[in-house]
Amino acid sequence: MFDIAPDHAIGLYAGLCALPLALFALRVRHVDVTATVSGASVLLAIAGAVHIGLVWTHRDEALTAILFAGNGLLYIALSQLCRWRWWRPVSVALITATLLGYNGYIVLGLDAPDQVAIATDLVELTALGLLLIPTSGVSRWRATRWTALGVAVPLLTMVTMATVWIDDLARPNAQHAHAGAVVQATNEVATPAQSAAAQRLYDETAVAIRPYADWRAAFAAGYRPGPQNTPTTHWMNQHYVDAGYVLDPRHPQGLVYANTKHGPVLIGAMFEMRRIGQFGPDPGGPLTAWHQHTNICFTPFGFEFSLMSPTATCPLGAIDITTPPMLHVWIVNNPGGQFAIDIDPKVVKQIDQA
Amino acid sequence: MTRPETNSRPEAAFVLLVMQAMFWLIAGISAAPFGAAGEIHMAGLAVLTMLLAIATVLCALGVLWRKRRARALAIALEVVCLFGSAVLWLLPVGFNTGLVSTLVNAALPLAIIVLLRKDQQAFS
Repeated sequence: MFDIAPDHAIGLYAGLCALPLALFALRVRHVDVTATVSGASVLLAIAGAVHIGLVWTHRDEALTAILFAGNGLLYIALSQLCRWRWWRPVSVALITATLLGYNGYIVLGLDAPDQVAIATDLVELTALGLLLIPTSGVSRWRATRWTALGVAVPLLTMVTMATVWIDDLARPNAQHAHAGAVVQATNEVATPAQSAAAQRLYDETAVAIRPYADWRAAFAAGYRPGPQNTPTTHWMNQHYVDAGYVLDPRHPQGLVYANTKHGPVLIGAMFEMRRIGQFGPDPGGPLTAWHQHTNICFTPFGFEFSLMSPTATCPLGAIDITTPPMLHVWIVNNPGGQFAIDIDPKVVKQIDQA
Repeated sequence: MTRPETNSRPEAAFVLLVMQAMFWLIAGISAAPFGAAGEIHMAGLAVLTMLLAIATVLCALGVLWRKRRARALAIALEVVCLFGSAVLWLLPVGFNTGLVSTLVNAALPLAIIVLLRKDQQAFS
């Protein structure tokens, strides 16, 4: 969702090229129209160019290529027909059909949403809003247009973005198996050597962090807890973070404790790299793949997180951040694995009840 | 005589402000499940964000009705948004600088400011 699919990049270039051309066309033709009409005209041209640009990279999918070509040509034609009597209703119908059709494509799994697709959706939605603005002085259809603008644009925006997001969460790609996290690319199946290396890392880490079963020892060693209003808490050692230890079992940057009614119970360690995008060594191949939390909304109030929306917005008071790559080692029996991204909540619950 | 092109700038700004309000509404709704899962502060921020979305719609209506105060408020809001985006772009926090983020967090506020910067006399 936050990447650009290789076969969609050409659409982005086509859309960017269309912007100055559409503005130039308006100027050359001396079309004296309102700002809403000229805005809608330019946005239609951009959306059309994006769709035309995608025809070549989708030539193996006949139906999709035909739809892109037809849709793109119609958009471009409509961008130049702003004085035509039926310009508005035809453009509104085409945009609505395109958006609903695209949602259908996503639901059926025929396409995966990416930045070009979402940006084109936003361009189309804005064009729809501009087209529905009533022309001053024309009383007929005024109320209908305002109603359509007040209902159709918000509704279509919500439906389109919800579809994009639900699809992204329900059908993540191999590198986004976890919401808000990018997993390091590795080979698919661990080799015997990688399995042995992973077990060695696990054993050494489990032994090294054993003294921190008592949280006071961890505190004395420089680990400090994050917010404790959640079932688990990461205790970070800023000295180890700054020192830049890389996958050193004796110096894990973080410890993870379950917050139980008996006090903090050590359940694992966390290794962290210093820089965003710099994945660490991966001795266990797919078993010890690092992960990096991307596009998460972080608020300093309570150090809490949520996920950034497809429209790249975070709640007020939260900012979009990306964390440096990290690798967890779980010393309790975690169904997801010893190096899984998350601890199973059921495990934490069992520890709490023990 | 005022050219027709300048007359509908507030209407165009209205559409963009409504779009921006929708984006904030989506952000607020998306944070709500985290609030429900125990993140108390995130729940508060979700509510605040939804209130901001409503306030933005009201501001958009004010712009549509050519209210001078609404115009000033909208411009101030967009300047704050642009400033915030610029700061996040510069800070090494891994802020998303993708296409949609650029459109929503930079191009959209800039377009609203450009649309509202002229025609001050059209507002009452």
